Amino acid sequence: MLQGIGVSRRFGGLKALTDFDFLVEKGQIVGLIGPNGSGKTTLFNVITGFYPADSGKVLYHGKDITRCKPYEIAKLGIARTFQIVRPLLGLSVLDNVTTAVLYGRENIGSMAKGRGRALDLLRFVRLDAKKDVPGQSLVAAERKRLELARALAIKPEFLLLDETFSGLNDTEVADAIKLIFKIRDELGLTIFLIEHVMKAVMGTCEKIFVMQYGVKLAEGKPEEVSKNPAVIEAYLGKKKHA
Amino acid sequence: MDEIQEKPKDHAQTRSWGKYIYFPVILVLLFAFPLVKPPLFFLTLFFSVFMYVGLTESWNLMGGYTGYISLGHIAFFSTGAYTTAVLMNRLGASPFATAILGGVFAAILAALVGYPVLRLKGAYFTISSLLLAVVMQLIFMNWEFVGSSTGLWYKLLPVSIETNRLIFYEVMLVLATVITVVVRWVEKSKFGAGLIAIREDEDVAKTMGINTPWLKMQAFILGAFLAGWVGGVYGYYMSYVHPEVTFNINTSLLILLMSFFGGCRTWTGPLLGAVVLSLVNQLIVTFIGAEISRILYGLLLVIVIIFMPDGVMQYVKGAFMRVKG
Repeated sequence: MLQGIGVSRRFGGLKALTDFDFLVEKGQIVGLIGPNGSGKTTLFNVITGFYPADSGKVLYHGKDITRCKPYEIAKLGIARTFQIVRPLLGLSVLDNVTTAVLYGRENIGSMAKGRGRALDLLRFVRLDAKKDVPGQSLVAAERKRLELARALAIKPEFLLLDETFSGLNDTEVADAIKLIFKIRDELGLTIFLIEHVMKAVMGTCEKIFVMQYGVKLAEGKPEEVSKNPAVIEAYLGKKKHA
Repeated sequence: MDEIQEKPKDHAQTRSWGKYIYFPVILVLLFAFPLVKPPLFFLTLFFSVFMYVGLTESWNLMGGYTGYISLGHIAFFSTGAYTTAVLMNRLGASPFATAILGGVFAAILAALVGYPVLRLKGAYFTISSLLLAVVMQLIFMNWEFVGSSTGLWYKLLPVSIETNRLIFYEVMLVLATVITVVVRWVEKSKFGAGLIAIREDEDVAKTMGINTPWLKMQAFILGAFLAGWVGGVYGYYMSYVHPEVTFNINTSLLILLMSFFGGCRTWTGPLLGAVVLSLVNQLIVTFIGAEISRILYGLLLVIVIIFMPDGVMQYVKGAFMRVKG
């Protein structure tokens, strides 16, 4: 469904992403892990058109989307969340989602209809009780759910989640995992997620890519990846031999 | 879709016109005002109030909703004024047909400069919009066809000065009303929701599927069109245009201050700001003195910026809510 072939991106002398290949199939939940600064968010920014790729291609349903602009990517059905959650602070929770419904793939003209759909989505992420509260007065976990509702509001087929679980406590992580499965199973979305919270990655993903210094280190099922010596080394450092 | 019925009644966008029932009353009174044969001073004063309402509301499309603070609004206003001046002076065209052409030319100018200028953000956008006004002023100062530094006189309508003032008083009143209604409509529409999303976070707006450059361009052109229209009428009313007067940067600043004074997030803010500040300004200048006016004006703004950063309108609303509990 979403495929990258030799995707590369550099910032000046820094190679943020080198020859990265990936493939996410329809209906999968796929993880992208790696130490801080390894280029995970850069990959998402390239996919969603925020950074142009220096070389390589991103294919969506077999169509080249490498040169598409961010709003065109959204219209194609690829939604994303941001690592540092970015609710539209001055707007109410409902308005945050409504705007995305209006301009999303359904392209609704009527405000009332848009608001109705937005409210459905807020119920889906269980944020409807806070619909009239401004975005800035939400706590971290609620902001993440708002971000999720806003991403879902464009009626995507494909969802890119950038560290949705970080900063959540154990109960909240468990809730969020349930929500991810609900999004896939009830809404039929394919999900590609960046994550540091191992419990969440192991609990949700059927395939994981591991990245370091912009290069793919490993790829496979969670249990395989977690035993891979190169991955262990990247995360924990080399074992010292006495 | 049963959830549409249970809309929150305090939700901003669901308010009806019912709340603004006093607006038509005020409008009718203003429209009938010339019947009592007021001194010309008041007609002139109100004319300038209407003009600033039109300019501030149209400025707010970009400045308030989209968050692109422009100091170049005066360039569109002047384009409108010069359009009618040239059309009448060179071609003898009637004012009522050409005022809207002023808007059209301003819109074309906005479309041309918008493409490069709207790529800039924050202070860079503001500075380049200011440069637009400055450069255009220089061009008009040196352009023979538009009168260069001597300016252009209009041929007056073949009526008495009183009737002339009266006609333009009513025309500007209607125009200011139309602009306010258009801007209010934008605020409550999908178009406005998109602009506000751009103001809040342009990257997030893109991920919502908003074609941000195009949406900004539309707001920029619409704002310029409305300002140009106002300029067209203003030119006739003054019956004289000169680069130093029409391109006066103080007007751009005044528009910005009025908008911030009232609060630039809603259509009511600029309306209040334009009415209060232009009245205060003119009345004090006339009856007390220009020096005192400057001081009071500055003081008022400092107070508003410190104590009511979201504008007077928002402050009053907040105070009202607190009283209500």
